[in-house]
Amino acid sequence: MSPSSCLLEEELAAIRPVLANRLKTTGVDLPLLPVVAHQVLLLSGDPNVDSSKLSALIQQDQALAGQILRIANSPAYAPRSPIVSLQQAIAWLGFNMLAGLAFSVSVQSGVFKTAGYEKEVRGLWRHALATGLYGKEIARRIRHNVENAFLCGLLHLIGKPAILHLTSQTPPLAGRLHSWPVLEKLFDEFHLQAGTALGEVWKLPDSVKEAIRCFPDHLYDQATSPAKGAIITCLADHLASHALGTSDVEEETLRNLQVVRDLNFYPEDMTALLELKESIQHHVECFLS
Amino acid sequence: MTSPHMFDLLVIGSGPAGQKAAIQGAKAGKRVGLIEQTREVGGACVYQGTIPSKTLRESALQMVRFLRATDVFEFRMRDDVRISSLMTRLDRVVRAHGEFMKEQLTRNGIQHLHGRAKFLSDREIDIQHLDGTHTNVSASLIVIATGSRPRVPDHVPIDHEHILDSDSILSLVYLPKSLTVLGGGVIASEYASIFALLGVQVIMVDSADRPLKFLDQDLTDQFCQAFEESGGQYRGLQKIRQVQWDGFSKVTTTLDNGQILESEKMLVALGRVANIEYLNVPAAGLTPTSRGLISVNEHCQTVMPHIYAVGDVIGPPSLASCSMEQGRRAVCHALGLSPGSAPEHIPMGIYSIPEMSSVGLSEQEAIAKHGGAMVGRARFHEIARGQISGMTNGLLKMVADAQGKQLLGVHIVGEGATELIHIGQMGLLHRIQIDSFVENIFNFPTLAETYRVAALDIAKQRRG
Ligand SMILES: Cc1cc2nc3c(=O)[nH]c(=O)nc-3n(C[C@H](O)[C@H](O)[C@H](O)COP(=O)(O)OP(=O)(O)OC[C@H]3O[C@@H](n4cnc5c(N)ncnc54)[C@H](O)[C@@H]3O)c2cc1C
Repeated sequence: MSPSSCLLEEELAAIRPVLANRLKTTGVDLPLLPVVAHQVLLLSGDPNVDSSKLSALIQQDQALAGQILRIANSPAYAPRSPIVSLQQAIAWLGFNMLAGLAFSVSVQSGVFKTAGYEKEVRGLWRHALATGLYGKEIARRIRHNVENAFLCGLLHLIGKPAILHLTSQTPPLAGRLHSWPVLEKLFDEFHLQAGTALGEVWKLPDSVKEAIRCFPDHLYDQATSPAKGAIITCLADHLASHALGTSDVEEETLRNLQVVRDLNFYPEDMTALLELKESIQHHVECFLS
Repeated sequence: MTSPHMFDLLVIGSGPAGQKAAIQGAKAGKRVGLIEQTREVGGACVYQGTIPSKTLRESALQMVRFLRATDVFEFRMRDDVRISSLMTRLDRVVRAHGEFMKEQLTRNGIQHLHGRAKFLSDREIDIQHLDGTHTNVSASLIVIATGSRPRVPDHVPIDHEHILDSDSILSLVYLPKSLTVLGGGVIASEYASIFALLGVQVIMVDSADRPLKFLDQDLTDQFCQAFEESGGQYRGLQKIRQVQWDGFSKVTTTLDNGQILESEKMLVALGRVANIEYLNVPAAGLTPTSRGLISVNEHCQTVMPHIYAVGDVIGPPSLASCSMEQGRRAVCHALGLSPGSAPEHIPMGIYSIPEMSSVGLSEQEAIAKHGGAMVGRARFHEIARGQISGMTNGLLKMVADAQGKQLLGVHIVGEGATELIHIGQMGLLHRIQIDSFVENIFNFPTLAETYRVAALDIAKQRRG
């Protein structure tokens, strides 16, 4: 073992029990869902929703409204004329996309704004967004309803920022800036548990909670929801890592994943999904730049 | 590529048609390979067609009965339980049925070849597997049973999110507030009436003046009445100019007369197309028809005598029931086995709410064929069982020859229609006289009594 990995192990050994204990005992201490995000979530499930309700909600948060207008005006959405109002932005982006975004932007800039890790957290959200976008395309290919897939992808890694939040809040870990490799190790070990707990606290829809809990390769076959969020998110997660260059998995390896077989995807299906890489990268950059 | 694996019989597609063809071949002692491109066997019938739509219908009916009972028992059901519990039950039924099919094939020693089939010649087939590898197989007898999928009309942008087809409607995660259904055929009518019953505001739009035009008008009138009572609307004689998702909350449908309809979701059910795009049928010496179907003779044999085609890939009636029989008979014919006498009177079942079913000649067909017809009617509310079970919205229409003697057809609308029709079917097969229904005793109280009442109606007309 090299001296640096020794140090890493030591640091991990110190944090692990504190975090494990914290997660075991304290659902309530998990960050609350920002008010706007929570209301957006409620609105998405309301059959009587109309665009004015959503725009009124977003307007409560100036920063959020500004972000939404910027995204709607970005080249990815190529508006025919400049978008100047939220109503117009909603009509242009679509309700589900907008609700998902408002949710993610509001969560990002709220509870999960952890000082010292801004760049890394942005990376997590880029990945989450790319997974949501890929999820939609996978669902479309299996002629499955795509609505659920976006939200599952967007939130599947919610456990990671939750861990960041917990480590920054929990004594004696609070106040110390842990190295990113240490945090990544902790994410690997705890993010499913943290994400599952957060899903409960935030009262996310059952199908989304299941995707958060079961999206990894070795778990999706435990999922029972007919919405298929877990298996869709599993492949979307791999494709997102590939598209954003956060994993060095070769295209060939990606094509041979078991999840590809389990979705009954033929080489041409994967080719079509891989061809979306640039468009997804473009959308992600426009959203989060 | 490996050297060809030899089979006596290769069947392409594991839907009802392919399965029965394969089983018939195996029972005759042949070495059978069944090529299926999806992981599961069973075809559209199990995963997107008959089984899911009927399960959804049954669950919807049960739920509505249950909700009605809440008035009596004073409890409330959570609104959000509705669609997810319907869909979860559907998933369970479909899985169980799929497992049963798989087990049946294994039991009969049929080799399941997972991959996508493409003809290399009239006896050789290339199977492309999920990992991109290929296997070459050959047989002296080949049955094409690749089925069909929903048609995507050029002017309707199906996105499986707001504008759905009959496959993606099955994975809805919540009940929409409103639904426009394009089409007036069996699939459109079934889903339209199911969603209307579940409280969704449904508008059906079609070019015909009434839905299910091929059925007796008495039946479709009753269907339309029940559909309207559940809040549904049928807009006939309409042409669609444009369908669009408005980007926020509605699908807008512009009709040719300029009228605009708005709904939260849309179901497009404008027919089906045969699955032949991967098959490369010209390599087998076959030419698809102008409608993209494979043409066959009365034995389901194509122009290549050792290649048969069965099920939806050959076009109407496009029913699971007929597809199975075609599969079985095709293989019997190919192997020189007697398939038994050809089915004469094929019943048609429509699992709308209310159910409709029909066998034999309609009143108009009987007049055209026999120069006249006598018709007897029995309404469910006239029958004790109808009253007891609260099934008062039903009708059985019996068609006889002009003398009112010979049974020629039976048409039923109302719960249980698709079961009740088989009495009429047996009557037609055994050419029974109208009076047999009058002279014999039926269980009391049953809906089967409608046969007796309708026959009595004819007897009364006969006496003048
Ligand atoms: C919503 C709905 C409701 C229905 N309700 C009823 C009903 O109540 N009663 C009734 O009798 N019928 C009903 N039907 C019709 C019935 O489902 C079909 O008639 C029946 O499934 C046709 O059977 P099939 O074997 O021809 O094809 P399918 O069931 O379509 O099966 C064909 C199989 O071939 C496979 N395949 C295609 N191409 C290839 C290839 N190149 N290589 C390998 N495999 C391939 C497909 O994956 C599929 O599994 C309904 C259909 C729908 C859509």
